[in-house]
Amino acid sequence: MGGETRIGSSDRRRSKNSHGKAPSSLTRRGLLALSALGIIAAEQGAALGASPEGQLTWAVHFSLAPTWFDPAETPGMITPFLLMYALHDAMVKPMPGNAAQPCLAEAVKMAPGGLSYEFTVRAGAKFHNGEPITAEDVKFSFERYRGTSAALMKERVVAVETPDARSVRFVLKKPWPDFLTFYSSATGAGWIVPKKYVEQVGEDGFKKAPVGAGPYKFVSFKPGVELVLEAFDGYWRKTPSVKRLVFKVVPEEATRLAALKRGEVDIAYSIRGELAEELRKSPGLTLKPVVIQGTFWLYFPDQWDPKSPWHDQRVREAARLAIDYKSISEALTLGYSPITNSIIPDSFDFYWKAPAAVYNLAKAKQLLAEAGFPKGFDAGDYSCDASYANLGEAVLNNLQEVGIRVKLRPLERAAFFSAYAEKKLKNIIQGASGAFGNTATRLDAFVVKGGAYAYGNYPDIDALFAEQAVELDVAKRTKMLHRIQQMVHERSIYAPIWQLAFINGQGKRVGESALGLIRGHAYSAPYEDVTLKS
Amino acid sequence: MRQYILRRVGYSLVSLFLLSLVIFLFVRVTGDPVSLLVEPGASPEDIENMRRQFGLDRPLWVQYWHFMASLATGDLGLSFYYRTPVLELYFQRLPNSLLLAAVAMGLSLLIGIPSGILAAVRVGGFWDSAGKIFALLGLSLPSFWVGLVLILFFSVYLGWLPSSGSGTTLHLLMPAFTLGWYFAAAHMRLTRSSMLEVLGSEYIKLARLKGLPEALVIGKHAFKNALIPVITLAGINLVVMINVAVVVETVFAWPGIGRLLYEGITFRDFPIVQGVVIIGGGMIVLVNLLVDIFYALIDPRIRLES
Repeated sequence: MGGETRIGSSDRRRSKNSHGKAPSSLTRRGLLALSALGIIAAEQGAALGASPEGQLTWAVHFSLAPTWFDPAETPGMITPFLLMYALHDAMVKPMPGNAAQPCLAEAVKMAPGGLSYEFTVRAGAKFHNGEPITAEDVKFSFERYRGTSAALMKERVVAVETPDARSVRFVLKKPWPDFLTFYSSATGAGWIVPKKYVEQVGEDGFKKAPVGAGPYKFVSFKPGVELVLEAFDGYWRKTPSVKRLVFKVVPEEATRLAALKRGEVDIAYSIRGELAEELRKSPGLTLKPVVIQGTFWLYFPDQWDPKSPWHDQRVREAARLAIDYKSISEALTLGYSPITNSIIPDSFDFYWKAPAAVYNLAKAKQLLAEAGFPKGFDAGDYSCDASYANLGEAVLNNLQEVGIRVKLRPLERAAFFSAYAEKKLKNIIQGASGAFGNTATRLDAFVVKGGAYAYGNYPDIDALFAEQAVELDVAKRTKMLHRIQQMVHERSIYAPIWQLAFINGQGKRVGESALGLIRGHAYSAPYEDVTLKS
Repeated sequence: MRQYILRRVGYSLVSLFLLSLVIFLFVRVTGDPVSLLVEPGASPEDIENMRRQFGLDRPLWVQYWHFMASLATGDLGLSFYYRTPVLELYFQRLPNSLLLAAVAMGLSLLIGIPSGILAAVRVGGFWDSAGKIFALLGLSLPSFWVGLVLILFFSVYLGWLPSSGSGTTLHLLMPAFTLGWYFAAAHMRLTRSSMLEVLGSEYIKLARLKGLPEALVIGKHAFKNALIPVITLAGINLVVMINVAVVVETVFAWPGIGRLLYEGITFRDFPIVQGVVIIGGGMIVLVNLLVDIFYALIDPRIRLES
């Protein structure tokens, strides 16, 4: 740590490390500089930004729920963030080029020993109703938060102190290096709502007419039809360029594409397969793939059973070598799903970049022969979520080519994940996760002893994991988490397939769709950056 | 008569009770809704918390008791997905569904009845064959296909109509036609068979022997009697159109009850599925009850037999 206290934030220089992305981390000095830049940018935005004009319309593939207007109810899924980036703002949140950028917080400090975090509320930041954002609002928002990981956060945060109107201190029970990950991106606890207004209108009233601190304010909502938002001139970062945002619910994919072609909407979410190909060919329309934080893999749950062929590392390696990753990605997602060769999304803190995946049938067959299976073997079931059975079929064909004969067993999504978590599946599991967090939280669920989806464990990995969980020195923790990922890779505990690309369409009128600006985020954000063509 | 009505009301209540039990159990057979409301890989604590929040951790009979007790007070529960009372969601969507169903029903009757009469009057002729083909296509072509073809043709190629959504008359045309065609075909077939039956009856023969003009025989004497079963079917179909136009509403992004049901099924939102099915079932039971009472009022044999 040296003389400086590093806290969770960003550092582009470190993220360029060729051995993998280092965690976002800032020194106090760095943070001050960043804050200053933020203030300057905000002032420039206010000074230079022209009045917002025009309207941008999205075709959304699911019905918008009013519960997503309230950060307090953020569930463990990415969907509500589609709205939260427009209506609300967070103390610290993922932004372009920065996984944890101070937003409503002007400065963030971690106390020596990691037992508390102190945030300074941005001067001049205000809610849509004109009320200034205060430390009380920050405290109130945290305490009323009841969404994903609420119990975990409240168990670890023993007190929220507000020494003055612009200072908030989160006091932890014990050092928790991932506090900022949870507070900034894995939950909605750091998204701020106006205390006075919520108390005045009540919980239901707030969902009906939400007031936030985001770049767009609420205008109207027709459930199942559309949501209309309007630019908030007083947004601290900059005045949005587009006056009105409209989110239309269009559940059918072909209808979304038709609406995009007709110019009824400007951006259409989730256009897949042949329709994506058609979109690519349509003049004036642009394909906008976004790589999300959802990774897919094969898991070998029998690898801890000495009688199973999967116990032999060479067999697991053979399976990895048998998969034609590139062709599968091209066939199913037009080649936009990157082959990262890891179960950790590349946008996560502490991500370690694994060596490139190799497709080599000869080598795979050789390894199988060395393991005592020159003619291959009957490998039993290949269980997968039925909605991704097409991916399963492609991988299964690849495995058959080297003699790993498996039977596809697609299960309905809920049944699949419940059987996966209850550790009832055998042979091969085609798993996936789009859960929030960082490398440590993903490893915790899928690799380490006791993990919700870990069928077995490796004691040396567990020991290293326990060590990093209390390590406050970011550099040391990075090294440990990189080492764990390396071990997962070297032992072929998993055969990673891809990191899924979410394919969208953009119409002629759009200047900047803000799709893909924030790494791993599926939707347009930040909304103040979207523009129409002049 | 009072006894007859009381018995019918009793049957209706039993039907509704059985419907509530069946739908309550059936939605739960489809699986755990919580796994669809969190990202794969969510922590077991979060999943358990959510299950507790929705009351899904309680024994099944307790859940059913709670459901029935709420139902008795007119409360259909809170949607898992929208976290909004189901009744509120239902009434938000009802005007759209009523509008779509009314226009689609109008179209279906406007097309189905005349074509059915024409087919019956010209049995074996061109109009009969054309009517049969029309009915066959209407009943067999999947609504989603018809809807997508219409969008492609009228929205994308010709640019005449909006592809989806609601708000103007133009938005209503394609979904109403897609929904109406299926029911027009059903109404056409029933009108045809009903007309054929009536046209073969003695009183029609007598009317013709009396020398009445054919138009009068068909229009006044045959049509009125043939219409009764068609109207009865149309009443039931209207309830179906209001509540379960799932495919049409989804393809055209029409914000009606059918789509609410579709969303409920997609997200395993038990309260929504239960609520929509109970209300829809209740409407059908009520219509049947009224029809039974009406029949008993006009035909004493029915009440005496029962």
